[in-house]
Amino acid sequence: MAVLPDLSVDIGGLKLKNPVITASGTFGYGTELTPFFDPSLLGAIIVKGLSLKPIPGNPPPRIAETPCGLLNAIGLANIGIQAFIEEKLPMFTKIEAPVITNIYGHTVKEYADLAKKIEKVEGIAAIEINISCPNVEKGGMAFGTDPDTAAMVTGQVVSNTTKPVIVKLTPNVTDITTIARAVESAGAQAISVTNAILGMAVDVTTRRPKLANIVGGLSGPAIKPIALYLAHKVVAAVRIPVIGLGGIMDYRDALEFLLVGARAIQVGTANFINPKTAIEIVHGLTDFCSREKVSNINQIIGGLKTM
Amino acid sequence: MVEETVALKSNQQIGTNIWLMEFRSTLLASHAKPGQFLMVHLGERTKDPLLRRPFSIHGIQDGDKVMILYNVVGAGTSLLSALKEHDIISVIGPLGNGFTLPRPSERAILVGGGIGLAPLFFLAQVLQKDQRSTVTLFLGFPTSQEVVRIQQLKDLGVNLSLTTEDGSLGIKGVVTDLLDQRLSNKGATKPAIYACGPPPMLKKVAQKATTLSLRSYVSLEGYMACGLGICLGCAVKAAHGEEKPYYYVCQDGPVFPSGMIDWEVL
Repeated sequence: MAVLPDLSVDIGGLKLKNPVITASGTFGYGTELTPFFDPSLLGAIIVKGLSLKPIPGNPPPRIAETPCGLLNAIGLANIGIQAFIEEKLPMFTKIEAPVITNIYGHTVKEYADLAKKIEKVEGIAAIEINISCPNVEKGGMAFGTDPDTAAMVTGQVVSNTTKPVIVKLTPNVTDITTIARAVESAGAQAISVTNAILGMAVDVTTRRPKLANIVGGLSGPAIKPIALYLAHKVVAAVRIPVIGLGGIMDYRDALEFLLVGARAIQVGTANFINPKTAIEIVHGLTDFCSREKVSNINQIIGGLKTM
Repeated sequence: MVEETVALKSNQQIGTNIWLMEFRSTLLASHAKPGQFLMVHLGERTKDPLLRRPFSIHGIQDGDKVMILYNVVGAGTSLLSALKEHDIISVIGPLGNGFTLPRPSERAILVGGGIGLAPLFFLAQVLQKDQRSTVTLFLGFPTSQEVVRIQQLKDLGVNLSLTTEDGSLGIKGVVTDLLDQRLSNKGATKPAIYACGPPPMLKKVAQKATTLSLRSYVSLEGYMACGLGICLGCAVKAAHGEEKPYYYVCQDGPVFPSGMIDWEVL
């Protein structure tokens, strides 16, 4: 029997057995999809974004489908960090893949407090920071749209934890590389590119927006070329590992992100449609590497030929 | 809960914009309960439409035949309606809680508006098979063109009353008129109400049930991406005093005791 290709990657000190990660908010609290496959087989799992206090979320309608895309304005609904640690985390003991918590706050201090809480918790391998949410101290402007506030949030989390810190960037900026460099300087060990792209849809019959929140984040295959471009730009701008996401539906999409230099990828919206997408991507990458006689996935990462 | 790829047995138009789809699945048929739903995708690799569509289970026939009754309302259902016998769909289910069946000897009044008939047929099938309770069915449609599945309901032996808004079949009016006329909490046994239909209809059913202190269950729709409790898209506002601010149609429902829902905002 042929030797299986080595798919393992290193993300800022976090060792993953393969580069496939489930994106925050698309894999629940980690156990919802266990009827479909064993999450232990994945590179890592990122759980639903958590805040200090529970958040009820936005009024409905919260989602709308657009061509090849999903618009959502869930409003970061979550049970809060304390309930997660007490009620959900114990169920993770059976999952052998690293568990990464995604966090967000409304103030810099909330991010710091979340980092302090998570630092004490065993069983959480890393922290991913969502900086796409509004900064209530700065008139609701998203933390991630300004290099200084993005760096400040990152710095506060990094200084309050020994766990690797991944910063998930928003695409809704003029130049994503300035934000990427700012969070790298502030001590981030990795960067996720990209969060959802702001968008909207209107029902012409009722003349109302299709989302109660009026605007939402667009995800799914519709945004893949944009996400790929942003990942490509960020890879060139920073030295820390980049995790690519945005519209990845199968292993070929995953390979595109790896080829532009992403060290790992996240599967998001696809989990809603085919709950087995992530594990199928793991198998697809294994088969591809075997077929192409690639013994180690790192030989593919950044292997884009431009000449 | 299973994910299955199934070949259609049939997929036919049976009324204005109304289609009936049938496929065989021993697994789904043996696990499904009335009120539960399925997430259906046209094909594994289709990116437009991107998401699965939720459909309540219309009924189980011949042991393993699963039926879906649906309205063609948009691009997704339009493509679905074009499928023929032997075409393939991907199905996840059965999902959601299903109806709480009536207590022994409790009467069941089923109230359906338009395509809201879909899950009530399955409920009527099970209740008639159990012979546990008398089943009365009130159905309302816009016109006679939308009236479907009547003979099959009669074959089940339920007490059936029909309304159409234009009076082209049955009693002229809306289905909730029948509740006003025929529902009371008098008599030896109180009825339990099971309703599915457009929100204004359900709201009236809920009010009526509250007035008469009757148990009532409503089956709700919601925009959802996954049906599995992950996307948190299908939120409905919970009534004041409930333990959560929102319920999720896919996981907490799709069937709710009508008192759990905030009808002011639905």
